[in-house]
Formats: sequence, structure tokens, C-alpha cells
Amino acid sequence: MGTPAVEIEELSRVFEPRKKPPVVALDDVSLAIPPGEIHGLLGPNGAGKTTLVKILSTVLLPTSGRARVLGHDVVDETKAVRPLLGIVFGGERGLYWRLTGRQNLAYWGALYKLSARETKARTQQLIERVGLAERADERVETYSRGMKQRLHLARGLVGDATVLFLDEPTTGMDPLAAREFRTLIAELRDEGRTILLATHDMVEAETVCDRVTLIDRGKVVATESPRTLGQVISRFQRIDVEGVDAAVLGEIRALTGVSGVTEADGGARIEVDEEGATRVVLGRLVDAGATSVKTSLPSLEEVYVQLIDDRGLEL
Amino acid sequence: MRAFVAGFGLELRIVRAAPDALIPLVTAPVFALIFLSIVRESGRPDLQADALMAPVLMTLWWIALQNAGNMITGDRWQALLEPLLATPASLASVLLGRIVALTCLGLVSFLEVWAIGELVYGVSIPFEHPVALGLTLLVTALATAGVSVAFAAVFVLTRNAYTFTNSLSYPLYLLGGVLVPVAILPGWIQPVSSVIFMSWSADLLRASLKPSPIDDLWQRLGMVVLLGAISFLIGRALLFHVMQRMRAKGELAAA
Repeated sequence: MGTPAVEIEELSRVFEPRKKPPVVALDDVSLAIPPGEIHGLLGPNGAGKTTLVKILSTVLLPTSGRARVLGHDVVDETKAVRPLLGIVFGGERGLYWRLTGRQNLAYWGALYKLSARETKARTQQLIERVGLAERADERVETYSRGMKQRLHLARGLVGDATVLFLDEPTTGMDPLAAREFRTLIAELRDEGRTILLATHDMVEAETVCDRVTLIDRGKVVATESPRTLGQVISRFQRIDVEGVDAAVLGEIRALTGVSGVTEADGGARIEVDEEGATRVVLGRLVDAGATSVKTSLPSLEEVYVQLIDDRGLEL
Repeated sequence: MRAFVAGFGLELRIVRAAPDALIPLVTAPVFALIFLSIVRESGRPDLQADALMAPVLMTLWWIALQNAGNMITGDRWQALLEPLLATPASLASVLLGRIVALTCLGLVSFLEVWAIGELVYGVSIPFEHPVALGLTLLVTALATAGVSVAFAAVFVLTRNAYTFTNSLSYPLYLLGGVLVPVAILPGWIQPVSSVIFMSWSADLLRASLKPSPIDDLWQRLGMVVLLGAISFLIGRALLFHVMQRMRAKGELAAA
């Protein structure tokens, strides 16, 4: 296996606020992301996602452990790491509001040591790519929140980064813009870039990520592809069925390997917990004349809720 | 160098969009009038040119220090500091570029005081050594920016940079011989003044307005550049340590 794009080994970060007890933001986190992967970082507020992104971006030092980007240590080799990175922190701040979108990008392009000609060309290309061509010469303070987010993304791309860290990049975007953003992310992956996407948005993570890491209270809970992550809470498929009567459902409930049958809205969800039970249940449902049968693994959102739901609104 | 140019261009665009950083240009003519009035009332018309140069130096210093104090903290509050540090650019070079842009604009104060002297009292600036005068103004603008980088690094550590910028200005005006030549200050102050770039600048400016030849022009210009460069290097080292400290404590982003 070649050098991972991002390699994190036993990384911890403890904050020590004045007159308050220490806060463990990251606790022994290990993770490897191969080149060309879109990796989702999922977790509730305060889980440690932003802390991890900041350490990888070289703007925060870890308390212990190591992290490397394309083989370069993010603490000791910042000069080698920084040209490789593009970062997009969420929120409305992070731009010069009194300047135009084009002027903002020109500034950040110069910081990535692009020549004036390269900066001009790259700026125009990115402005078109993120759909800001019509407003590029207007002040950022006149932009909507979604437009600012798109400009943030363009800023992250202006240095032609190999590795992109995106922290809540679709915050404030309308659904259409968010969908376009996901298409753009996939294009960036196709160009060979590696992307670490910290997000709350399960649909976003499920749609664009090759793998996701669930993180909670600074610890990694699971790392899997979104499709197979459901196996963390259930190794077997669920069966959603319509058009069978209660008597048939009662028979199925009694079958070996069926762990539960939940009836709702004229249908039912049957859960199994043994190898081979799905085939038996499906056969019985077809015999009973079911009008609709669908098998599925738990969605990413269900996994998230199952693993992290005890947090509620607590930070 | 690209980081410097990026900072220079950024500040010019910011000032064009919102020129509040150049407020000291409004006060320069006022100070010029005050100083001119004092020397004329005292029966010292030979000091009129000196009275016009003092507001120019004060304006350069005020613009540089006031804005240097706010640049890093302003970027921090607008969540611009972290993305900036995550680029390959040197923060000190970006900062220097930004402040040099302001001090170059601050040189407009020279034209202002020239105009106000002519218009109000009919006092002309005697351009006895115009090349020396131009070079002195230029290197003074650069050195002022270099020194301001050092102060900017210190200001990051304090929650109230504004107080420092105000209180630091007046001792510098005194020690730098901005209005009163260092030579007529108490003897014990003079060694301190000799390491302050502005004392060299102020003396050179005054000398360039007098008909007598300027002694050691290049060496004196070199001293201004050298002191400014040393200050910048100290500032760059200080900035590095301050940023390291903030990276360690997680203070680069404001809440």
C-alpha cells in the first residue's frame, strides 16, 4: 500500500481553559485515508470533528500522537504540508466582506504563490465552477450565506490542493446548491484529490463519501463505507413489506431468526438476527401475496442515531 | 516576495473599499497648522520647515501602528487568521506588505502639509536636497512598517491593543526627535534615541531641507533601513513564537 493521503496515529488533543477543567476534544484517534478517497467525518456538535480538521490543517497542535498528510508531519513539516492543503471552514466568516469575491480569491491565490497570470486564470475558472460568475465583482457583504459558502469552497481550491479539508461546507446552502456541491465534490475526487468532509448532513455523507468515520466525545466510534456501516448496529437486512395481513405477520414473528416485527401505516418492518432467516421470511411473504417487499440495511442516519442518540442536545 | 505583494495588494483594496485606516491623513494638516503657529508665534521662522515635517512622521507612525495593532486581531475575529496560517505564505511578509501599503499611502501627508503651509501661511517647503528628501521619506515609510510588524506581534498578546498604540506613540515622537531635535534633548536620552530609526529619519528630513550639504547621507539612510530591517526580523521571530503559542493553546480562532 502506498503512502496514505492522511494518516492519524493515536492523536489526542486536550484543551485547558482558564479556571475550568480540561476538555478532551480528541482521545487517541487513529485513522488512515488513502489517496483519492472522499472520507466523511460525522459526529454531533463538540464531537471533535473541527479539532481534528484544524490539527490536520496545521493550525492547531495536538497534545499527543502524530498526523501526516501525504507522508509529511503536520507539526514538524508545516512548510511541506501547507502547499498540499486546501481548507474550507464553515460559517459566514473567513472572507473579506468589503472586497469582491474575485478580489478575495486573488488574494488567497497569491498566498499560494501563484503568479499574477495564474491567479487571474484560476480565479475566473473557480468563480465559474462554483456558480458565482454573475456576482464575482460585487462585495462579499452583499452575498447570501450560500454564496459565501461557495466562495469559501473556491478559496479552498485556489491553491490546487491535493488534499481538501471541508468543515461543514454546505451550511447555509439551499438544497439545489447543496446538490451541485456534491457533484463538485465527486468531480474533485475524480481529479485525484483526497477529501475529508466533516459534516452533520447524513444525506451528504451517504451520497458522496466512500467511507465515513463516526466520531463522538473525541473517540472514533466506527469507520466504514456508508453502505456497510449499518452492520455496526445490525449485521442483517431489514424487510419492509406491504399488503400482508396481521395473521401472516404473526406467523413470521414466530419464525426462528426473526427478532422483531413492527406494524405501521398498512405495512410492517421485519428485522432478522440470524443467517438465512431473510430467505425464509421472503419466501413466506411471497406465498402470502405481499404487494411490496423491500430489503435494506439500516441507513447512515439510523446508525448515527443508534450510536450517538444518548447525547440529545447535550454538548 | 509574493506574500509581501499579496499583502500590499490586499491592503490597497481594503483601503479603497473602506478608507478608515487613513484617518490620520485628516489630522496631519491640523497638526501642521498647530506646529506652524507655535514656531511663527515664537519668532522662529527658521523652524517652519521642521514644523511641517513633524506631522508627516507622526502620520506615518500613527497609520502603521494603529493598523498593525488591529490587523492580526481583526483577521482572528473574522476567522481569517487560521486559513492564512494554513497557506504556504509567511504571515510576517503578508503583514509587512499590508503595512507598507498603508505607510506609502501615509506619504500623502507630505503633500497635505505642503499645501496647508502654502495656503494658510504662505510657507513653502524648501526643496534643497530633493533626492535625499525623497529617499528619506521612502526608507522611513519602509522602516516604519518593519517596526510595526514587531509591535503587531506583541499586540496579539494583549486584549487591548488600542491602548498600547496610543500610549506608545508619544514616547516615540519624543525619542525620535520628531518635532524637537534629539540634539537638544537631555544628554541621557540621546543614546536611546540613536537606536530608534525615526531619530535618524527626522534628522535627515530636516537636513534635506537646509541648504548646507548633508553629511554621510548614505550611511544615515542605511541606518534607517538597518534599524527597520532589524525590527522586522525581531518581529518575524516574535510572530512565529506568538503563533506557535496560539497553535498550542488553540487560540488562533476567536469564539
